[in-house]
Amino acid sequence: MNAILSGLLLGGFYAAVSIGVAISFGMLDIVNIAHPAFILLGSYAAFIGNTVFGIDPILAAIIAMPLFYLLGMLVYQVYYVAFERRDDQSLRGLSFFFGLLFITEVTLVMIFGVDYRLVQASYIGDKLTLGPLELPFRLLVPFLVSMITVVGLQLFLSRSFLGRAIQAVAQDQLALRLMAANPIRIKRIAFGLSIATAALGGAVLIIIQPVEPSIGREYIGRVFAICVLGGLGSFSGMVIAAVTLGVVETLTATLFGPSWSPAVSFGVLLITLAVRPNGILGR
Amino acid sequence: MASSLTVANVDAGYAAVRVLEDVSLRVDAGETVALLGTNGNGKSTLMKCIMGIVRPSAGSITATIDGTAHELIGLSTEAIVDLGIAFVPEGRRLFPKQSVLENLQLGAYRPKARAELQRNLDFCFETFPRLKERKGQLAGSMSGGEQQMLALARALMSAPRILLIDEPSVGLAPLLVSRTIDKIKELKEGFDLTVLMAEQNFTQAIRIADRGYVIVHGRIAFEGESAEALNNNDLIREFYLGA
Ligand SMILES: Nc1ncnc2c1ncn2[C@@H]1O[C@H](COP(=O)(O)OP(=O)(O)OP(=O)(O)O)[C@@H](O)[C@H]1O
Ligand SMILES: [Mg+2]
Repeated sequence: MNAILSGLLLGGFYAAVSIGVAISFGMLDIVNIAHPAFILLGSYAAFIGNTVFGIDPILAAIIAMPLFYLLGMLVYQVYYVAFERRDDQSLRGLSFFFGLLFITEVTLVMIFGVDYRLVQASYIGDKLTLGPLELPFRLLVPFLVSMITVVGLQLFLSRSFLGRAIQAVAQDQLALRLMAANPIRIKRIAFGLSIATAALGGAVLIIIQPVEPSIGREYIGRVFAICVLGGLGSFSGMVIAAVTLGVVETLTATLFGPSWSPAVSFGVLLITLAVRPNGILGR
Repeated sequence: MASSLTVANVDAGYAAVRVLEDVSLRVDAGETVALLGTNGNGKSTLMKCIMGIVRPSAGSITATIDGTAHELIGLSTEAIVDLGIAFVPEGRRLFPKQSVLENLQLGAYRPKARAELQRNLDFCFETFPRLKERKGQLAGSMSGGEQQMLALARALMSAPRILLIDEPSVGLAPLLVSRTIDKIKELKEGFDLTVLMAEQNFTQAIRIADRGYVIVHGRIAFEGESAEALNNNDLIREFYLGA
């Protein structure tokens, strides 16, 4: 019972690290495999905020978000000028993001070394006990942060003019121009937002576990699996997929041992895609 | 207030292929003008030139919006739409994975149209009750006729002063063609628009057009100052009606 519960909470955390990819890959068709590197950058931003300035890691992430947004806009602009505009984004674009992943990792190693880093916050060791259920704050806080982010972004995307344009931009750029919107600007903003979510994702990551520069790689497969599983372009599908994966992984780890978790998650992915090729809630 | 369009001596093409040669036409305020021609004569290319999608190699295109003149050549497509010129393109170009309502809301992206969203939406739903019934359905799963209505309605959501429509009748059953043409007239009057409509279907287009131009091999071959003038023209008989 507690395993299912912590699986649910873990799933919430997976949603926080996947939401950026749900935007870039799911809505913009940009295969940003460097996203986990930005998540780690977020972890270290939270780490600096926490150890140097003594502030809460989540608060540090919120302060860092505007910078991450600008960084994302810059990365998109470079990607656009160098690859997308020339219409050969797929393979060379992939190598661009792979390079970005590598450079970020190396830079983090040079600055912070390869030691595991962690953050302090009053709530991290505590837990909430509801009858027989135990909710460790270490998992509960990331879950709540994640859900607030998902709901907030979902409202923005469905209710605002800009949000609706972001959802439409990958479908037909000329049509979007005919709505008086500049698709490049729309994509730049959306990519900026996707990287801004990495600041939050990084903060919740370092709350859940100690972090060193190469652990981002562990999340690449998982994050893309969650987005594909949920159905590209659908946030609610993404959350369902993240939670499913969290529960399945935790149960597998409790019943068979942690080394089985990755195999089981990809098993779930393959089976779902065989039944529903567009993902759980894909349009 | 008056909105009109003037195309003067435009040459245009794709890479080495010359498609339009010395094309001139005008759409005066409040008029519906038909651009007539069979397949491959350059109707769509001319519309793309006006919308900034294809850049002419010579000539000028001027739009007067509510009394202010703007040179369109050199402006981006989004800037042209933002002036108040809406375009229903060939193939309709809806957002297939968005709902009918979302497509209409996207139509009102233009800052000037946002404030009027609700009023224009009500008007579109009144004109096309079908769209209201289906507002939650994905645009890509609508029938061809419904998609054509949605494309028209979405263009109107941008609160335009000038409307360009590329072959509204294409792919529709005969009964739907005449109904669509009637709707265009109704919308034109409701929104007080100036309309340029490319059509192959001569008899239908001429029902609502005040005037027309016949384009043959990228040149304006005939300019009819009235529907009757077009009807009685030898060239039309030859090229169009196959008589
Ligand atoms: N993107 C393009 N690249 C090269 N040539 C093109 C392109 N688009 C159109 N053409 C050519 O330009 C000419 C005019 O085409 P256009 O689409 O303007 O004709 P149209 O009058 O709209 O025809 P239809 O009634 O079939 O839509 C044709 O010979 C066509 O092959
Ligand atoms: Mg055409």
